[in-house]
Order: sequence, then C-alpha cells, then structure tokens
Amino acid sequence: MSDSIQRDPPATEPGRDAGESTGTPAWIGAHAEELARKTVELARKTTEFEVLQRVSSDINSTLDLEEIYDIALRTMDDLFEFHHANILLVEPGGETLAVVASRGYESQAMGGRARIGTGVIGVVAQKRTMLHVSNLGQKRAYAAAQRRQMMKSGRGAELGDAVPVPGLANAESQIAIPLLIRDELIGVFSIESPVRRTFSEHDRGLVSIVANQIASAIHNARLYEERTRAAEALQAANASLETRVAERTAALERELRVAEALLSDARSRVEGPLLGESPAARAVRDAIARAAAEAGPLLLVGPPGAGKEAVAHAVHGASRRGGGFIFVSCPELHAQPRHAGAETIPAVRPERLVLAAKLELASGGTLFLDAVDQLPLEFRYALQELLEDYETRSSDQSPAPNVRVIASTTRDPRRDVESGRPDPLFRLLSRNRIAVPALADRRQDIPVLVDHFVRRQARHLGKVVDGVSAESMRRLEAYAWPGNIRELRTVLERAILVSRATVLEIDEELLDEGIAVGSYRLVARLGSGGMGEVWLGKHRLLARPAAVKLIRHDVERGPAHEDLVRRFQREAQVTSGLRSPHTVQLYDFGVNDTGSFYYVMELLEGFDLQHIVTRFGPQPWERVIMLLRQACRSLAEAHAHGLVHRDIKPANLFVTQLGSEYDYLKVLDFGIVKDQPGQEATMLSARDILQGTPAFMAPERVLGESVVDGRSDLYSLTCTAYWALTGQVVFHASTPAQMLLHHVQTPPTPPSRVAELPISGDLETILMMCLEKDPAKRSASALELDAQLASVPCLEPWTQQKAQAWWEAHAPEVAAHNHRGSARS
Amino acid sequence: MGTARLPAEIRPVLDNGVPAVMVTCSADGVPNTTVLSQVYYVDETHAALSFQFFSKTIRNVRENPRAYVCVADLAGHANWVLQLEFQRSETEGPIFDAMDMQIEAIASATGMSGIFKLRAADIYHVLSVEKLPHSQWLAS
Repeated sequence: MSDSIQRDPPATEPGRDAGESTGTPAWIGAHAEELARKTVELARKTTEFEVLQRVSSDINSTLDLEEIYDIALRTMDDLFEFHHANILLVEPGGETLAVVASRGYESQAMGGRARIGTGVIGVVAQKRTMLHVSNLGQKRAYAAAQRRQMMKSGRGAELGDAVPVPGLANAESQIAIPLLIRDELIGVFSIESPVRRTFSEHDRGLVSIVANQIASAIHNARLYEERTRAAEALQAANASLETRVAERTAALERELRVAEALLSDARSRVEGPLLGESPAARAVRDAIARAAAEAGPLLLVGPPGAGKEAVAHAVHGASRRGGGFIFVSCPELHAQPRHAGAETIPAVRPERLVLAAKLELASGGTLFLDAVDQLPLEFRYALQELLEDYETRSSDQSPAPNVRVIASTTRDPRRDVESGRPDPLFRLLSRNRIAVPALADRRQDIPVLVDHFVRRQARHLGKVVDGVSAESMRRLEAYAWPGNIRELRTVLERAILVSRATVLEIDEELLDEGIAVGSYRLVARLGSGGMGEVWLGKHRLLARPAAVKLIRHDVERGPAHEDLVRRFQREAQVTSGLRSPHTVQLYDFGVNDTGSFYYVMELLEGFDLQHIVTRFGPQPWERVIMLLRQACRSLAEAHAHGLVHRDIKPANLFVTQLGSEYDYLKVLDFGIVKDQPGQEATMLSARDILQGTPAFMAPERVLGESVVDGRSDLYSLTCTAYWALTGQVVFHASTPAQMLLHHVQTPPTPPSRVAELPISGDLETILMMCLEKDPAKRSASALELDAQLASVPCLEPWTQQKAQAWWEAHAPEVAAHNHRGSARS
Repeated sequence: MGTARLPAEIRPVLDNGVPAVMVTCSADGVPNTTVLSQVYYVDETHAALSFQFFSKTIRNVRENPRAYVCVADLAGHANWVLQLEFQRSETEGPIFDAMDMQIEAIASATGMSGIFKLRAADIYHVLSVEKLPHSQWLAS
C-alpha cells in the first residue's frame, strides 16, 4: 500500500495539455482522492496488523480456554464490528457442535447446539469451508415461500421440520469459519449481524488467519488440559498405587513376620535349648558350626537335660546331610537272638550286627548314640571295633560308610585320662568334642528359653499365654536347675497345664516338688494321648509313686459339666471297688482347678501288649493263653459289677513284673468316662485309630445297640489275642469306617492262616467262637472263657521260669522304656 | 452482441444475494419470468445462476440461450440488468459447491433439505451489464 502512496503523479492528465491551468488541476484532485483512499486503507491495514499482532501475542500467552475464547471474540469484534459471535466446538460423537463462548447475544444461552449439516454453522462444519451468507432474511423468506407453495400443491409430506439454530433470529449476514487442526474439524467460529454486510476477499483471508490462530490456541489449550487431567489422573493413580503398594508391603511384612515366626519355631524345635546370647550358648553354637564341617565322630559332654540331643540335631542340620537322623538309646541296646542267617557266620557277634544295622540305617546321615556311657559292655567293644574299622578304611582310602557318629555322655572322658584309665572307646569318640553347658552356667538365657517353651507349650495345648510374671521370672532365674533345660521345660509345661490366666505364675512349690493334684504332686510327664496326659506323681505324705491321669474334655462348666462330674465320680467309685489283682488299682480321683478329671493309679513298670508285639513280634500261643486268662479274671469281676470296659485293646493290657511274679497282667483304663457325651468322637481320633480302637470294637457296639454287656469285651479281648498271636489285626481296612463295617459284616480269617508261629487248633476254635457277630454265639462270660482257655491242651505251658527268663533278658529295656516316659497305669 | 465485463461494484450486490428476477423466452417468443435465489460471480465475464425448480425457464434456455437477469441493489437504490447467454450446466466443482452451500445452509434449517436444493450451477457468458436507477427500472 505504501508504494501506491509514493507513486509519482502522471506527467500530464490525459486529454489535457500540460500547460493548461484551471485552478486545481483535475488530475491533482483525482490523485488526492486516490491518496486519501489509500491512506484510509493503510490505516485500516495498520489496525488489522496491530490486531493480528495482538491476537497472536495474547492467544499464545495463555493455555486457559476461557481466556482464549475471550481473546477470539474480542479480536473478531475489533476487526469486523459484528458484535455477535459464537464459538462452537465439536462434541463427543462428532454429530453436534456446542456453543462454548459467545458475545453480544442478549438471550443466547451457553450450551446451544448446532447439528452438523444443518444451518449455516452445521453446513460449514460439514463442508469444512468458510461460508458467508448475506440477506438471510429474504433468503429465509424465499425458502418459506417455496415451502408454502409445496404445501399448497400437496407436497407437504415431503417437508421436514424447521430446526432452530444458535444465533440471531433476525440476522441478515452471517459468516462461519471452520476451526481446523490438520484438516480435522474441532469447531466453528460464527459471527452475525442484523444488517447486511459484505465480505471482501481480503476480509475472508483475514478471518481465515484469525480462525487458524484460534483453532491452534484452542487445540493447544485442550491438549494441555488433557495432559493436565492425565497428569492429575496419573498422580491420583500413583497415589492410589502407592497406597496399595504400602498396604501390600505391610501385608507382606506381616506374612513375613508370620513366616519368620514359623521358621523360628521350626528351627527352635531343634535349637530351642540352644537359644540365648550367653557366652556359653554362643560357644556351643560356634562349636556346632565347626563340628558340622567335620566328618569324624563327635562326642557331646554335658549334664542330664542340658540339650545334648538338640546339639546333635543342630550339627546334623548344619552339616546338610541328606540322610536321616537315627536316634539310638544306648541303655536300651540289646543283641537279638541269633537266627539262622547269623549262625552261618559264627565269627560275627550279634552286637556288631546290631550296630552295623544301625549304621546302615543312618547311611548318608547321622547316627546319634544317646548316653553312650551306659552302653552295655559287649556293645562297647563292638562299637569300638566298628569305629576303628572305619578309621582304617578312611586312612587307606577304602570305601567307608558315609555316616556321622555323634555320641552323648554325662561323663567327662577327660577324667578317665586324668585317672590314668583312658577308655579306648571314648578316646575314639572324643577327638571332636563339644561341652554342652548346664543351665546354671548360662543363666542369662533363661528368659529367652522361658519365652520359647511357654509359646510352644501354649500353642500345643491351645491356650493363650502371654508369658510369666516378673516375680516368677525372677524366681526362675534364681533357681538352681539341677535338671537343666529339661526341668525348665517340664516346670513350664506343668504350669501352663493347670493355669487359667494369661500370665503364668510359677510358685516356689512348683520349682521344688511339682504341682499338686489332689494329694499328689505331678513330677514328670510320662506320656500323652487323645484323652489326656499321664504324669508321674508322688503322694505328698506317703511319697508313694503313682500315675496321675489328667482327662481332657470339651464340656463347658454348667449343668452338663456337673452331670459329667457326677457320672465320672460314680464310675470311679465303681472302679475303685474292683478288687481283682489283675485290674489296675485306683488310688484317688477328682476334678482339679481347671475342671479336668484326674485319677491316680498304681504305677507299673513293664510293657503293654501293644509294645510287646510291636517290639518283639507275635507271641507264643501258650503265653497268650496265660495272659488272656488273667484278663478274663479282671473282666469277670467288673462284669459282675455291671461295668463294661468298652475299650479292651493291646494298649490297655499291661504286662509287668509284680514282686516275684513275672508276666503279671493288669487291665488298664477300666470303664472311666468312656461314654461321656461326645467322647465317642474323641475315641475315634486319628491317634486312637492308630492305636487300634476301631480294630477291636465289637459289632454290637458298632451298631450302637442299647444293651451292651460283657460279651462285647470278650470280642475285643479276642481281637487283642489275634493281634498278640499274629501281629496283625483281625480285619484290614484303609479307613475307620471300613474297619467298623468289617466287624459287622465280614467273617474273620482264622489266625493260623496268617500267623508265622504255630497256633493250637483248640485255641483257634475258642477264638473264632468269640469273634462271632452274634454275642449269643460267643462264650457266655469271662469266667466261661477263662475255663475254656484253661482246658486247651498245652504240652509246653508258659511257665514262670520262661517268663522270668524273658523279663531278665529285657530288663534294661524295661528300665529305659519306663525312664523315657512309657510307664503306664 | 459481444462480451461485457462485470464491474467490481456489482460483487457485493451479487453477494448480498437479494433474489433476482430472471427473464427467458421460448423459441416461439413467449417470455417467462422467475425468481432466482442466487446469482454467483464467477469472473469478470461469467456469472452462474442457480437452477432449482424452474423447469420452464430451463426449457426456454435450452431453446433460446439468451436471458435477462435483474438484481436489486437495495443499498445503492439501483438495479443491475445483465444480459446473459447460457454456456453450460455444472453439477460439481467449486462453483457448484459454493452455490450449493448457500442454498443448503438455508434449506437445512427450514426443513427443506433435499427439496430446496441446487440441481445445477448454470454458467452464463455476460453479454451486457447495465446499472439503472430504481425509478428507471420500474419505468422499464
């Protein structure tokens, strides 16, 4: 435009002479007019440039949509003075546009919509081309006239409905510009005027420029908004994720703590006595680590109950041996009678065979010889020879058994050396040696050991115990602990057994002589079963040893419990009235502070029939007759008092030495609380099934017949005899239910067909009769059965001499067996 | 008659699009008058007329290509009279699209889509252009 302003005037006006003068020459007037026009145009373009510069600056300085709309509307107003403008954006779905900003409309509501393809705005959106429509009023009128014409001519059905569109109702001019980003429609900018307006090509170009800037700004702002929203959503998701991760982490940490506790518990089953941070405990653990790396024999020296077996387990575990841990109680070792195979190798002593068999069993693992100082003399030589043999083989690189031998002793072998009489066996064993300290020498470990044993025993008994009181702990720490850790464990077990509080109180009395039950004090636990625990007890005044049986039950205190107590007392009274020497003697009975029943019975040393058959195999039929007859005499008295045992089985027939009499049989567990409510289920617990209760149950008891008399005991007694003669139960079944069904339905196989030892035919006839399903076909009473057994011809009866020989041969085992807690009452 | 040029000042008049009057004549000399919704400026020597309904007009034009169009310049208080000669019909292309958009924008909002529509953009050669004051137009 400036070039036009600066253009030189023509030298002459066409049609006029150069020298002609008529005042102001016409060409000058025309030139001035042109100059003025161009000046106006320049001013307009300058304004436009300024507006465009401003809009460009303003619109690019913000990412706020509302500000962008405002700038866009203001700019169009500045440029074209339309005063009425709408910005519409395509809505999701792409079929409509919604007004997002507007200016100049008095009644224009935000949110008005235009359908794509309808009206000026809709057509612009559809065609994506700018459209200027002027003289709208007349055009609408013309269309309306055409519409009326059609209706008059009967074509009204072809017509659609008029569609309202956003904008001025009386607009005469409208220009709508598509807002495009890379050919994609995002909206329409529409400006309107109530008067007719024209748009030159220049105007259209200007509108396009502004529209493009608006479209870019809106697009950028929306992208920014989307990203902001996405960032916020991401942040929220992150926060949620962080929360979830934190929750999951906390849950995993809880699981880890539980797993660690379980692991610690699993470890402490072996390492329990090794817990603690005392120098002595640390020294033992260090010694274990060193010993685990060695392969030679290891000797553990320490006082009784100090945890030598735990140390042996720890060495075995740390050495990562794949084989098993074989425990051998040295006092119980005895040689088997020579059999046919051994006789062909007369040079091999049976003791050596026994030890070799144990070593073979421990192949790849550890053979633990407990109390090796109590090893019978003949075994000492055999063990010494074997160890020397292995040593020789190791030195000349011959294959030697891969067995770690660990032995324990309470006798310090160094004393033998000092006395000048070194034991060759100990010399071999003690090349590697660990001294296991007495508890008194590691007193600072007592709290952690107490915590360990309390938690373990409480869990075992299903009790909630938080620990021991401070006063009790002080007492425990001050006590001498002559029995070491074993005594500590026993004291805590007894305390937990009788405690009803969550914090244990250990009184002086408990530490001295044990807990009181009736007139007895519990000294040591002998064993436990499904119905309760058996403890070694001592009478407070008589100092008589006894077996105290604590009976577990699940009946809450209340009328049912009181009824149960009455029945227990009644049965106990009946049992205590039994005088047969073959019935275990009942000293006392009652209910202790925790509501458990207890009864005190004579303490017997020996084996029950279950153990005898399991340990020594099927018994000669002559011995079985002798034992059965004693049981019959016990049962005969009970049946005469109307008392049915209901649980005759090998484990309840106890064989003992009484004074000068050998193979003296006592019937245990007579009638007491067998039929208390819900007890049947306990009787059928897994443990009892293993002990054989269903295997010895009479058919009428299986069928639940209301009247069960002594003949059901005779059936069970016969099943017990079957076991003693054959080492097998009468029926074999994989489940208790199948076993019970066999008793009801299946004819038994005669014992002679399954026994390895010969059986008297007369005895078998009696036994098969007593195994009849119908009680009426069995012996009528225990006395009758006793007489029938007495009449069986017997060429080599089981005499007292034979019995004495048997007991003397197994005396060490009896002692060890009862020492280890298997004594029964 | 030769070719005339459309002056620049006629463009806003055409853009404003006041319905124009078109006069045609059949081969046997019978005239016909109709109203056009759009006279579109193509270039200096051509204009396009919207072909929508008038079958008689188109028949006349096919018989006799000459036509008169009178466009009212309301703002200028004048009328423009164009003498045109039919050249061709276009049913697509930029000229058709531009004219179609104008018509569709109105038709779609008045329920007449598909009825009030552009059938063709008829391209005419401008033979003469005459600007007459309103009074003279009315007199003629």
